[in-house]
Amino acid sequence: MNASMSQCLMQMVHTDYVIADYQSEIAPRWCTGCGDTAILTAMQRLCRDEQLPPEKTVCVSGIGCASRLPHYMNAYGFHGIHGRALPVAEGIKIRRPDLNVFVTTGDGDCCSIGAAHWLHAIRYNMNMTLLLHDNNVYGLTKKQASPTSPQGMKSNTTPFGATLNPLNPLTVTLGVSNVSFVAQAVDWIPDLLYDILRQAYHHKGFSFVRILQRCPNFMEHRFDDWVRDPSKMRILTHANGLRLKPEVSRVYKNQETHDPLDMPRALALAALKEEIPVGILYRDPTVPCYDELRAGERPSTPGLVELVLNEEFDKVGIWPAETAPAAAGE
Amino acid sequence: MQQQAEITKTPASTTAPTEDEAPALPPLRPALFARYTDLESLRYDYPLVLLETGDGGPLFRPLSRIVDDVLSVAAPPDASGEAMRQQVLRLEARIRRNVALGREGMLSDLWQDNATRMVKESGQSPFGSLGTNLDIARKRLTLDGVVIGCDHTTPGKVVTHTWRAKQNAKARRFRRKVEGLILRLTDILKSDHMKSDEAHSAGALASAMGQDQDSSIDFGSLSRILDRARPEDRLPEDRVRRIKTALEALQCQPFFGPGRATEICRRRPAPYSYTFDSCAAALDALRERLPAILEFTKAVTIAELEVENKYRPDLHDPIFETFDVSDLTADQMELLPGSLILLHDGVTESAEIARAFEALAGGLQITVLIQVDDILGPTSPEPPRNSFGAGTARLASMAMGLNNAFVLQASSAHLYRMQEAFQRGIQHQGPALFSIYSGATRTVPGVPPYVLSAAATESRAFPNFTYDPSAGSDLAARFNLAHNPQVGVDWPEHRLDYETADGERQSEALPFTFADFAIGDVRYQRFCHPAAQDDWTPDMVPFGQAGSGPGAKDRIPEPYVLGLTPENGLLRVGVDDKIVQAAARCNDAWRRLQELAGINNSHALRLLSEERKNREASAIEIAAALPTADATPALPEAPPSPVQLAQEPAPEPTGDDPWIETARCTTCKECTQINSALFKFDENMQAYIADPDAGTYRQIVEAAESCQVSIIHPGQPRNLEEADLDELRERAKPFL
Repeated sequence: MNASMSQCLMQMVHTDYVIADYQSEIAPRWCTGCGDTAILTAMQRLCRDEQLPPEKTVCVSGIGCASRLPHYMNAYGFHGIHGRALPVAEGIKIRRPDLNVFVTTGDGDCCSIGAAHWLHAIRYNMNMTLLLHDNNVYGLTKKQASPTSPQGMKSNTTPFGATLNPLNPLTVTLGVSNVSFVAQAVDWIPDLLYDILRQAYHHKGFSFVRILQRCPNFMEHRFDDWVRDPSKMRILTHANGLRLKPEVSRVYKNQETHDPLDMPRALALAALKEEIPVGILYRDPTVPCYDELRAGERPSTPGLVELVLNEEFDKVGIWPAETAPAAAGE
Repeated sequence: MQQQAEITKTPASTTAPTEDEAPALPPLRPALFARYTDLESLRYDYPLVLLETGDGGPLFRPLSRIVDDVLSVAAPPDASGEAMRQQVLRLEARIRRNVALGREGMLSDLWQDNATRMVKESGQSPFGSLGTNLDIARKRLTLDGVVIGCDHTTPGKVVTHTWRAKQNAKARRFRRKVEGLILRLTDILKSDHMKSDEAHSAGALASAMGQDQDSSIDFGSLSRILDRARPEDRLPEDRVRRIKTALEALQCQPFFGPGRATEICRRRPAPYSYTFDSCAAALDALRERLPAILEFTKAVTIAELEVENKYRPDLHDPIFETFDVSDLTADQMELLPGSLILLHDGVTESAEIARAFEALAGGLQITVLIQVDDILGPTSPEPPRNSFGAGTARLASMAMGLNNAFVLQASSAHLYRMQEAFQRGIQHQGPALFSIYSGATRTVPGVPPYVLSAAATESRAFPNFTYDPSAGSDLAARFNLAHNPQVGVDWPEHRLDYETADGERQSEALPFTFADFAIGDVRYQRFCHPAAQDDWTPDMVPFGQAGSGPGAKDRIPEPYVLGLTPENGLLRVGVDDKIVQAAARCNDAWRRLQELAGINNSHALRLLSEERKNREASAIEIAAALPTADATPALPEAPPSPVQLAQEPAPEPTGDDPWIETARCTTCKECTQINSALFKFDENMQAYIADPDAGTYRQIVEAAESCQVSIIHPGQPRNLEEADLDELRERAKPFL
């Protein structure tokens, strides 16, 4: 079908966004060497390559190092309350489905105080992308154990070592009904991080991307074994998943072909201990989205909202027979 | 139309119809009509219920099917449900009789009314078995709508119902779109207002808290500590003006009624009317609406640009200043309601047909119904009359030539079976033509319109077909002839059972031809020659077989069809050349439709015969060449090897220059903080060595050591004068 007149007129307005268009006036305050910078760069590359208008892009975050990201993006942002990034993002998406919504959150923000919202966001499967910056520690508050801290890790809150086994955000997410997209990336392979974010963005539904991220100050050697030994990184490839560039393929030779629709294998991969799987673990584009299921027949114009409210109030009103309001039907 | 009749050959041996109120039967009827004089006792496609359903649901359903649906859930399948089944079927028969007498109405009303009367007439209490069962069944009715019979008003009612369903779906789409735009434009204005001093004023803040006069908050102080509005934060005045103008045009649109909760607009005019009985009136109305269409379309386009933040005054202002009819596109017009034009053969002027074709060809949003009550037309040239003439059955075929219009031709009897085609017609974006034969031909007395319209399709006089331009790009996808009986043959065949004078049961397969259809028409009966058995001659041959019998060349054949007297006596009816020629024309038109549908396609047949000849010729050649052939046939070429998709990795730089694996850089800024002239970020914000001479070897080695992902390779020192080179070389070794 031919383009409509509005589409033709819109094409007259030429936009060519570059990375600088997505960089805010505030310089990132993350520590030098922090993995968050790689995630920010990947986000800005994605926005540039998809030519997302800054005014149509929203980054929502909670509290934590990761949650500072909206400040550094030249787009709409909401640096919200601890753990509550997802409810805010869901509100934005249901009211403004035309916006591209990204949620940046950390392992503490998402998997601890925000855990309830996280589970229900997976179940709602609303069309947005969640970036879980997982550095296994509360870094903003200067080293406290988070739900994903390894057992035995000494921190300010666990001076004798963390007591419990860490929570695995991947297996948890894969176990929630309506899950539609689960991927894992690491900040130290930026090409794959970018590629995974791109696929997450294009997935229609709730895309959950866990990004293992180095914290050079409070978890300085946490991922050294994997950073230094590429053979301990298991790269998941598939015709419907990642396709590696030769440069990446040359370094990361430990590769496995994994069909993103294979849930049992996805669960097994997510539970790997010695190796870190990187790639798309699970993707099912057929899962229905709550925002689409709940999309009303009519937009909630101020007139409709007023009328519906008045109708509800009128139900409990007491009217003299001759002044009863007429039913306002079609 | 599987028909069985039990007929005595001698008229005298039959009994006359007993019902005095039955209309007089014509002197001659086709033999296959024998069983269809009293339709009230049959459960068939009528009465039809025009369903009030939402988007995409069924448009209509026969009463008998609805009753079956009700019984399947309300009446137990065993003997205990038998009483209810009988009672509900009696109610159905009663409703059918009433509808045939013209008492049409909503199904729920008819059900209630007739059930009450039935109970009253039975003398039972309303709480007896009859009343209770009918009430249980009524509660199981999930569908409702107007119940109509099959008569001269049916095509108009069905097409109007279909058109309304389309307009309702359109209205929903329209409101969704327009109200979505209204909402977004309102949002823009509201967010601009929130930045104004007025929104920050003490009064506005107080009113935002409701009408409770709460003095615990000092709104004046609150207002003072809020940021003052900065002019640069506000929308430009021309943009606000543009948005307000577009908003008003959207809120005050006169095309569809306001619906529920559309913004109230005081200057909203009354919505237009879209149903016409002539093309001239429809086109006049369209001309009258044109200024409003232009204003509205302009507003929609501006609104769409504004909500996407893509309106650039320097680019777009000149376009909207000169916006006129030539800028209207089909998709813009598709948003607005279309017109329904009801043309009626015998009522509408003939010139309207030409106008309708022009309007259809112009791609206007119109739906045209051409209702045909008389297919055969006058038997000889008569003074001009108010009719489309004998070519009415060809109008739809002609409309197919327009290529952009959805075309449906059907007889009233097949409307339900073509329901899917009606639904496609609703979904088609563009003009549509419905040509429907009502069966209410005045010159065929005594035959119910349902039977006559079914006969018109059976005899190929009025074939059913659809042409849907949106179904695909080729004729095979667009054209559908499947709704005709026995579509692969010239005339469909049916079995006729009858009884001879000797009381013997006979059964015969009869084609139902155009001639069978024509003999019922009183105008054509002067071309028919009924002959009782005593008058039969050896020259009489069944219609359609003339010229093929033994010794056919020696005598002039007299084609005949089997007919019925009003008393159901079987006759041979010889037919005249006039009918034979008309039948040939009809058959010719049918074969053309068959070809369009890919049946007996002449191009395909010709190609097939040529191909067959070529094959035979090449087989002979091969056979002739075999004894001398000794060369082994060449092996088929190996398929080309799959393209190497994976690129070869770029070679690692060798030598003494420092380098970075840029693709693996995590933008952690360790290196750029050491020397931002030596290390720089590329367009992807990943580091590379911009100028190896812009820093010292020490800086490069320190950067390699601090790089979190160890992707900096220092190479060899370039300045051999630099201090501590031996130590630095040693430190660089792990990164070389």
